[in-house]
Amino acid sequence: MPDIHFHPGGLALEVRGLRVTLGNTPVLRGVDFHVPRGQVVALIGPNGCGKTTLLRCLLGLQRPESGEIRIFGRHITAEVLRRVGYVPQRLALDQSFILSVREFLCLKLRETRHWFWQSRRKTDGLLRAVLPEFELGPLLDRPVAGLSGGQLQRVLIAFSLLGNPELLLLDEPTAGVDTPGENSFYELITQIHQRHRLTVVLVSHDLSMVYRHAARVYALNGVICCEGTPEEVMSADSLRQAYGIHVTPYHHEHGPGHHHVLPPQPQV
Amino acid sequence: MFSEPYMQRAFLAAILLGPLCGLLGVFVTARRMAFFSDTVAHSSLAGVALGLALGFRDPTWVMVGVSLLVALLILWLRERTDLLSDTIMALLMSTFMAAGLIGYSLLRGFRGDLDRYLFGDIFSIGPEEVVLAFILAMVVFGLLFVWLSPLTLLTVHPDLAHVTGLPVRKLNLVFVVLLTLVVAMSIRLLGIILVTSLVVIPPATARNLARNLRQESILSLAAGLLGGVGGLILSFQLNLPGGPTIVVTSSALFVVSLVGSHWRQRPPQPTLSRI
Repeated sequence: MPDIHFHPGGLALEVRGLRVTLGNTPVLRGVDFHVPRGQVVALIGPNGCGKTTLLRCLLGLQRPESGEIRIFGRHITAEVLRRVGYVPQRLALDQSFILSVREFLCLKLRETRHWFWQSRRKTDGLLRAVLPEFELGPLLDRPVAGLSGGQLQRVLIAFSLLGNPELLLLDEPTAGVDTPGENSFYELITQIHQRHRLTVVLVSHDLSMVYRHAARVYALNGVICCEGTPEEVMSADSLRQAYGIHVTPYHHEHGPGHHHVLPPQPQV
Repeated sequence: MFSEPYMQRAFLAAILLGPLCGLLGVFVTARRMAFFSDTVAHSSLAGVALGLALGFRDPTWVMVGVSLLVALLILWLRERTDLLSDTIMALLMSTFMAAGLIGYSLLRGFRGDLDRYLFGDIFSIGPEEVVLAFILAMVVFGLLFVWLSPLTLLTVHPDLAHVTGLPVRKLNLVFVVLLTLVVAMSIRLLGIILVTSLVVIPPATARNLARNLRQESILSLAAGLLGGVGGLILSFQLNLPGGPTIVVTSSALFVVSLVGSHWRQRPPQPTLSRI
């Protein structure tokens, strides 16, 4: 475990010896890592490596068997979670639940919680803080369930930022988003990171985003198998630890430093 | 028509419970809980049989108690077992309904009452039940007014609701208890078999016309009111059974809304001036 005193700004997130067993399967087997304040970090790993379980622990939704999680130096409480913004991968919304984007955003603010009785002019005025930054004006009257993957991500991030979080946790943020949408999404993350001085944790199995957008990478496979800068973690040995022995990163044409992991090949 | 006290009580019950079920139904259907409502309603038959066996002339309270017990059992089994929700609900529904039917078969002299509970008898509602419906309506409307945003967020994404600081478990429990109470009370209107239609048809009608949740809630409430009161008037005028007439009237409103939504979405036809 690196010495935390190297981070004068303090730690946004500190996880020590986290163990979780689901059924009879040990999913997390002693996870240790920390995230300094103000950094954009990525937590990567293959499917089934425990990313979702770890995220659920960070959000206080899953009680660990043992170990400790501290957010801004404190144990997880409702008060601490108010400083955390969570961006889920998708919403479990039925197409028939006609919640408009405006109504959805109003759910976040104390001032707009009675949106049902408030005029549009009033709610739009109160939501003004996020509307221009995310170009949400044209989407306000659209139903949330009908948005594209990229539009939904913008709305979900705007929703989180309305609570003025200091730590933003994003779960598989680009799943279901096309390549142009992916690029603009990461540009947006860079912008809000700089503008709001947030700590951002991207949880993903997508290695391509790690290389370009994270300052530090943690590769998870039951434990943190390797951590470091994207270049260090993308080395084949490190990736093999996280993704298994049949994995090879490769470069290709559609972007500098863009990596993918080859699917496991049958051994001859 | 309104000079008869039984008719006045029937109208009051329809005015109170129709809109209540309509509004609650918006969240019931969005949370895919229609089968939950059906399970609670069907299981209440065991409560009716138990109440009659215990010597209650009006077994409403026992019926409500058994419905609540089943609702809490569903929640408990969902948390404690790996069984799918549908499996749990089907298991409890069939068990409690079968127990109710066995209980009825052992009782003598109450056979006629079975139809009243299975198919409803809105015209036999007593003053006490109207008062109960009024209290329930005030409580549910009051809580929905205060908790509309939390309940909406819970419907959208329970984990997001948790991170936002909402007491998800408590909210869920309150919603389930309220839904159970409303369904149990509405059984006197439509009966065990048809009562779920009160929480399913009005929101479906509203969805055909609404563009956002506010419109959907208002339209669903209005559809519940119109279906309840309209059905009651039709049943009185045409001498038809109350519960089924309310359901058919609500379904007719749904068809009208469906046609209305297609008509609204139809692309503009070319006109001579455009050509």
